Order: sequence, then structure tokens, then C-alpha cells
Amino acid sequence: MADFDDDDDFSDPEGFEEDISDEELLGDLLKKRPTLDTDEDTLVVIDNAPKVKPELMEKLKRILKKVVGKFGTIISEYYPVDENNIFKGYFFIEYATREEALNAVKTCDGYKLDKNNIFSVNLFTDFDQYLGKLDSKWVEPKKEEFVEIGNLRSWLLDPDCHDQFAVIYDAPRNNMNAICRNTPQEPSIVCERKSWTDTYLQWSPLGSYLTTFHAQGVALWGTDEFKRIGKFTHSRATLADFSPCERYIVTLSNVVDNPNDPHQVIIWDVRNGEMKRSFKKLSNEEWPVIKWSFDGKYFAKKGDDVLSIYESSNFGLLDKKSIVVRGIKDFSWSPSDYLISYWVPELGELPSKIIITRIPSRQEVATKSRHLVSECKLQWHKQGDYLCVKVDHWVNKSKKQQVSCFELFHARENEIPVDSIEIKEPVIDFSLEPNGSKLAIIHGEPPTRISVSFYKINEKGTPPAKLKIFEKQASNNLFWSPAGQFIVLAGLKSMDGQLEFIDTSDMSLMNRQEHTKLTDITWDPTGRYVVSSLSFWSEKMDTGFIMWSFQGKLLYRSPRYMERFCQFVWRPRPPSLLSEEDIKTIKKDFKKYQYLFEQKDRSIKTKASKGLMEKHKKETEDFRAFQEKKKKDILRRQEMHNDYMKELESKLASSNEIIETSFLVKEKREKVDV
Amino acid sequence: MTPPRLSNPLSTPPIINFHVLTMRPLMLHGHERAITQIRYNYDGDLLFSVAKDHKPTVWYSDNGERLGTYNGHNGAVWCIDVNLDSTLVLTGAADDTAKLWDCEKGVAIQTWNTSSAIRSCGFSHLGNLLMFSTEDRKDVDCEIFVYDTRSNEGAVSRIKVEGERVSSGLWGPFDEFIITGHADGKVRHYDYRNNKCIKQQHMHRGTVTDLQLSQDKTMIITSSKDCNAMLYDVDELSLIKTFRTDRPVNSAAISPIKDHVVLGGGQEAMEVTTTTTKSGKFEAKFFHLIHAEEIGRVKGHFGPINSLKFHPNGKSYSSGGEDGYVRVHNFDPSYFEFEIEF
Repeated sequence: MADFDDDDDFSDPEGFEEDISDEELLGDLLKKRPTLDTDEDTLVVIDNAPKVKPELMEKLKRILKKVVGKFGTIISEYYPVDENNIFKGYFFIEYATREEALNAVKTCDGYKLDKNNIFSVNLFTDFDQYLGKLDSKWVEPKKEEFVEIGNLRSWLLDPDCHDQFAVIYDAPRNNMNAICRNTPQEPSIVCERKSWTDTYLQWSPLGSYLTTFHAQGVALWGTDEFKRIGKFTHSRATLADFSPCERYIVTLSNVVDNPNDPHQVIIWDVRNGEMKRSFKKLSNEEWPVIKWSFDGKYFAKKGDDVLSIYESSNFGLLDKKSIVVRGIKDFSWSPSDYLISYWVPELGELPSKIIITRIPSRQEVATKSRHLVSECKLQWHKQGDYLCVKVDHWVNKSKKQQVSCFELFHARENEIPVDSIEIKEPVIDFSLEPNGSKLAIIHGEPPTRISVSFYKINEKGTPPAKLKIFEKQASNNLFWSPAGQFIVLAGLKSMDGQLEFIDTSDMSLMNRQEHTKLTDITWDPTGRYVVSSLSFWSEKMDTGFIMWSFQGKLLYRSPRYMERFCQFVWRPRPPSLLSEEDIKTIKKDFKKYQYLFEQKDRSIKTKASKGLMEKHKKETEDFRAFQEKKKKDILRRQEMHNDYMKELESKLASSNEIIETSFLVKEKREKVDV
Repeated sequence: MTPPRLSNPLSTPPIINFHVLTMRPLMLHGHERAITQIRYNYDGDLLFSVAKDHKPTVWYSDNGERLGTYNGHNGAVWCIDVNLDSTLVLTGAADDTAKLWDCEKGVAIQTWNTSSAIRSCGFSHLGNLLMFSTEDRKDVDCEIFVYDTRSNEGAVSRIKVEGERVSSGLWGPFDEFIITGHADGKVRHYDYRNNKCIKQQHMHRGTVTDLQLSQDKTMIITSSKDCNAMLYDVDELSLIKTFRTDRPVNSAAISPIKDHVVLGGGQEAMEVTTTTTKSGKFEAKFFHLIHAEEIGRVKGHFGPINSLKFHPNGKSYSSGGEDGYVRVHNFDPSYFEFEIEF
């Protein structure tokens, strides 16, 4: 039995020092200890309100409360005034919860009360957080060293004006990516790298940057050495799109890293790599999600029943509100003016509508409505002269038969008149002539009854005139030369791979060629060359490309080392810097230049073929020497085979006697199909 | 930064489209099944064709008129040859017989019964001797038979072939030896006097489908399933040139007057149903004999070309295809002016 009489001595022994902190010992209790609630978390400071006189103060307060009251319950407010009772232009709002305060900061910041008063909203605690760390003395920020990135347009200085293109080949094993110059007879490689891009290559619209895609994001390359100029970290970005001015790049990734902040679509500043704005991608949106006006001043995005126009100067909504367009399906900008076109399908009794709106005034400059519409397709003329809309509509309410109608908006003329062309057959493809006023349409029933029609769009109320119809065609795609006048009709993929080169000035067929199973056709930016290609991405056999002249003359096939070829992209050119007068003078003196160019071509040809000629000469010499040797050998052997030769000669002599032949078993002589 | 590669300016020769196309070929349609071999006689006025339909046929080569057929075989006929003075015709067939015909009268003079199908046959250049080769079967070896046309006695020689079977054969210059092409890609010389192989070359990686001599009998051209055709020195069997294509080559011929060769072939007959005419690669391809570069193509057949021959005067050529047609192409005048210019 233990002895309970003696109480254990619990006091610390002498000289003992506590080595456990309170935190360790009663951490759970200490956490619950009440603290001084400053309410600072729910307090926001709003700056940039108008500084008004006392008599207007009440009115202003009402307005301000209306704005900030949207975000939560206001517990208290304070509007400081100076010694003359004039409002100082900033005020304090206390919300009920921290969430409401945060919401106010997030949403209300940048709110435009009017032109001069854009709110700047901050949490009160933020002041401590940031200001506390600041040095009271202002230090001049260090000037960043200017880094010369080099000439982004150096390729335009090529003395022979050879255009460049990017190709991917030897996929998927080596994934070689190369930039080539389109030199005569064979391309010459400017730069070649292995696995430069993970997926595909893309040029910026003016050709300054080459875009590559990687698991981490998108990279831009440029200058004559193709060094990396920019990178945009956007994991698994699959698509990229530039603003026409090349100032901004939009990337899309379907992978969401951070569920709270789904940056599926991000706009970046190309020059400094800053993220400018991000959007969620709606499931029904088609790429490009964001469409830019011709100069990149505005960009537009489709929402649910709204069309949102943003200004790229501050990346904010134009006039703080979107255009409400119920059921908006598709939209596109004019390539030359601040005009945006869009269409809406039928909603109940309301007809389907095609609308052109002027930005920023939001004035509807043209509309066209129609019932029983099933689908519309918008296509702007490259110079913005016309908007062509293909409207597929039902003939009657039974919705059995469908016809197509082309609505042509004359965007340059007063009040934008509209012409219509009815096509009674299914339309396969259509395209407006760049630098011209022709419309080409492929229509008919595949595979045998396909026709291609050409229309001329006339000015001032004269209806479009049919120029020519080519019947029994084997084509499903139209490719106008970027300079206009010339067009290639092609039967891509499932079709036979026929190519027809047509000069539309007199509607003559210049050439008919073939590239079996071809998948793509691209014109070079100057309209001098056409490339037809068969990509490894869609076919495993016979991949490669063929370079044609605009007249359909075969210039060369892709070199043998470019086997398992995947992609061909021409490097675009920025618009010409020459004035119209300059171009006119050049056209006038064309004969002079023509002679010079012909001479140059000839000298290049002889130079390039010199090596080949030498090789051929040597081969021929070797071969003839071999033949000579064999001949001697045969003669020697003939002497050896004296009897043989005698018999041979006698036989040949006898066979020369002509004998009338007749068969015992006589066949009826039949006429043979020839 | 990788330095820009200087690409070889010779890698893509320009392909000139022959104008043969503009001239309509004679289409000889008398066979009901795939053509297996065609052959001109020495003068070139007659064109012989055999097909899988049992009936060797002879045509006038200049107008495509059918002269007659040699009736008697009971199986696909694989090979045909005609002697120097166009008096005798030799055929070999899958009914395990070789037949010697009177060319003029169209009746069989002699029939040899063998134990397996005859795959190749040929008259010696003089026409006194003939050879044919049999296929190997389960318990039958591949053999080459040589007979004398002037006597009814037994075989002059009977050569047992070691290794893979003979897929094509012909007589060497001065009838000194027999040249054979084999299913494994070998090309051999056989001495028929001593019944043995005296020379062998193994360059092809697939069946040698056809063997043809040049007009001056100094070179042979072989075609093979390995998509290549090769030019050899007939005596040394040394490789002179290789003509590369992207399709099995079934036949190759050397022009008697120009430095050209023509290659024909295409995807295997059994695969053809799965592809279109265009991707089947049934065009005849012209190559330059010396530079071994493609110089032209002639389209037309709906199936692989099985046999090609130049007319002895070099002014036309014929092709027989899996589609059952024999096409006689007369060259345009521009063909004769055509010289490679670089």
C-alpha cells in the first residue's frame, strides 16, 4: 500500500527554469483569447469622388450611397470635409462583413462615376500593409537598361524580295521546324530547330513574330536570328491570336490551374509580357473568342445575349456597358472602319436580323431582317468595301427545302444599300475578291453537280451581275489571291485534289493541275505563289507541298529531306509603305523592271543549275566510258562466237522475207476499242 | 542557335510532264483478266500478251488489231516469248505446262508437263534453245529446264535451283548463260551446260519481278517489289544505277534509242480496292538512264502495271496492267526532241 500521508512536492526544484512556452502549453486556449476588434477589415476607402460644395453634398451622398450600397449593408459612413466645408473627395464606408468589403474593392475599383471621376477603392487595412513598408523618402526608380532586340522586320530587307515561310516536317520523331526563304527551284533554310514548337507554328499578322506553343505557355520569336522575344506563361495554351497591330496577344488554354481564377482566355501586352485582362471562355464560343477592330483600338467579345466592346487603352468596357443583343450568334469587325456586324436568329415572332453598328457611337447603320433563317455566315471584304452574308433560309414554314441568299452590304456607300443574290442550290463555299468587287460561289450537289459562279458587285443600286458560271467542277474551296484578280478552285481532302487557276479579269482557265488528297492551299502574301500541301496530320502517305506560280505552273516540290511534312505557313507582310502615287509610277514603268527581273531570274537559274550540270556531265562521261568499254568487249566476243554470229545473220536475213500469215483457227477480226 | 543548313540544290529534280498524254494510246482490250506479260517480236510489228485468262493473244502493234489467240492453256498464263524470226511462240502457265506454238498457225507444237506452274520462259537469242522455270511447291523444287527446239529429245539440261524460286529469267548475250531473278531479290547467272550457278548478286530486298536486257545486250534492268529498279552490267552483275520509287515496281524497260528507262508497278492488286486510282500510283514513270532522276509520268491504267516493253524501234512503248488492258503509247514528236536541260 502506498503511503498517502506524504503529499508529493509539486513545486519546482530549486534552480529549475521553465523551458516550455505558453504557446506550446495552452496554444488552443490562447487562440480563443479575445482580441481588440478594430473593424478595420470591413472598412473601405473610396477616392476620386467629385469635390463638391456643402450645398450639393446631400445629393452627392445619395448618389454615392447608391453606388456603394450595391455591395453590401452599409454600417457607417464618413465624408470628410475641409475647413471651408468642401468635401475632400474621398470617403469611408463600413460594411457589415469582410466579404462585402472585399467585393466592393474588387468590383467598384475603377468605377466611372463620370468622365473625370474614376473611383479608386481600397481596404483601409491595405493602407497599413502597404504604406507601412514604404520608405518615407522617395527614391528615383532605376532606369532599366534599354535592350536592343534587333530589327523585327529584317526579312523585308531581302534584296531579292523572297518571302519566307515556316514549315514543320520529320514529325513526330524529330519534329523539325524551319524557316525558309522561297528561293527559285528550292527553298533555302534560314533557321532550323528541332522541336521548336510542341504543336504548330503561327506568325503574327504583320509577320514580326513567330509563335510557338509549349506546355508552359506561348513564346514569341523574331529578328533575323529568331531569338526569343517574349514568353507568356499560360499552361497548356493551345491557341493564340494577335491584335491586328501586334500590340496584344490573346491566348487560350482549356486547362484551369486555379479554380478561383479561371484564366482561360488571357490578353497580354506583347512588348512587356504583362497580363492585361482575362476572361472565362463560354462553352459555345468559337475561336477567336476576342475579335479586334482593324487597328486594335477596340476589341469585342460575345456574351450571353450581349456583345461587349472594350477599349484597349484601359481594357475596360466601352461606356461601361455592353450592347444587349438577344440571342447573338456571331459577329465580326470591318477590316477598315469602326463598324461591327452581327446577326441574331429568329426569336419568337421577331425575324432574324443582320445588323451593322458604328462604334463608339453604337448607332445602327444598317439592318436587314428575314424570316425562316437557319444559319448566317458573315464575311467582310478584305478592304472593308462590302459585307457579304450568306443566309441559309427555308423556302416555307414546312422547313423542308433550304436555299441560300447572299446579302451584300455596300459599306462605303451612303446609308449602306443592300443587294441580294439568290442561289437555289446548297452553297459549299463563297469568297469575296480582295482589292476588287467580285464574289465567287461554289454551289451544287456534290460530288458531280458542282458549279462555280462569279458575280460582279456594282455600285449605286445596280444589282450584281453574273459574270460566268463554270459547271461540272471538282472543287469545294475557293482561294483568292491576296492581290485579287486570280483565284484557285481546289478540291480539298475527299475531293480529287484538282486545282484550277483562273484569271477573273477575262474568266479564263489558266491551268488545271492536280495534287492528290491535298489538305491546304495558301497564297503567299504578295499573290505571286500558291502552295498546296498534304499534311502528315491528316494523311500518312505522300506528305509534302508543291509550290505553284500564280498561273499554275509547277515550280518545285518539297525537298526530299522534308518527309513527314506537317505544316506550311507563309510569313505575312506588313502593308506597303509606298503611297498610291508611288505604286502608280511603278506600274507605269513596269516594262523597265520586268526586263531587270527577267535578267536576274536567268542569272539565278544558271547559277543554281551549275552544280547540277557538273554532276550530270560527270555522270554522262562515266557512263559513256562504260558503254565504250562494253562495246569493245562485245566486239571481241563476237569474234569468239563466229559460228553463232553467222547463224544469227542468216536467221535475220530469212526473217525479213515477208510471209503472208493466216491462222488455221481463224479468229473473227474484231474492231478494238481505241 | 543552329547554323542555317545549306541545303543540297540537287535534291529535287524538276519533273517534266511528258506530252505522251496528249496522244491517245491504243487500248487493247481482248483479255478478260489481268495482263501478266507482254512481248514484242524482233521486228516489232507483233505484240504478244498473256494474261490470267488462259489465252495468249497476238496483236498488230501499229493499229492494235487483234490477230488471234493461242488456245489450249487451262490456267493463268504467266509468261510468253517469241523467237527471233517470229515462227515459234513459247508460253508458260499455271496449269503446269509450257507450250510451244506455231506462231503463224496458232497450234501447239509441243507441250511439256511439269510438276508446278511455269513462271518464266524464254527463247535463246538465236532461237535454237529455250528455257522455262518452274515454281517451287511443297515437295517440288524450283527448276530451270532447257530444251532444244530443233529436236524432240529430252531436256538439254535441268538445273535445280537452290534457295528462293526463280521469278524471272532470260538468256545472256551470245546465249552463254541464263540470267535469273529470284523471289528473295537475288540475280544469278546459270551455266546451263554444267547445270550450276556461276555468279550471284544480292542487291534487291524484294522479289525481282522483271528482268530485261538493253538493246545492245550490255546491261540488264531489274525491277523489284522493294520499290527500286536496278541497272546491272550484264556480265559482271555489278550495279550501275538504282532507280528509286515509292511503289512496288513490276516491270522496267530500257529505251533502245534514248537514255531513258520506264518503270511500271503500283500497289499490290489486293490492296488496290482500298485506294483510289490516283493514290495507287499506277502511272508509268520515266527515269533518265544516266542521272537516275525521274523525268516524266504517264497515267492511264486503273491497276498496277505488270509488264512494260519498248517497241524495238523505240518510238512507242506498251504496258499491260492488272486492269486487263494493254496500252500502246506512241510518243509525241516532242518526246524525241526532249533533252534534259539544266
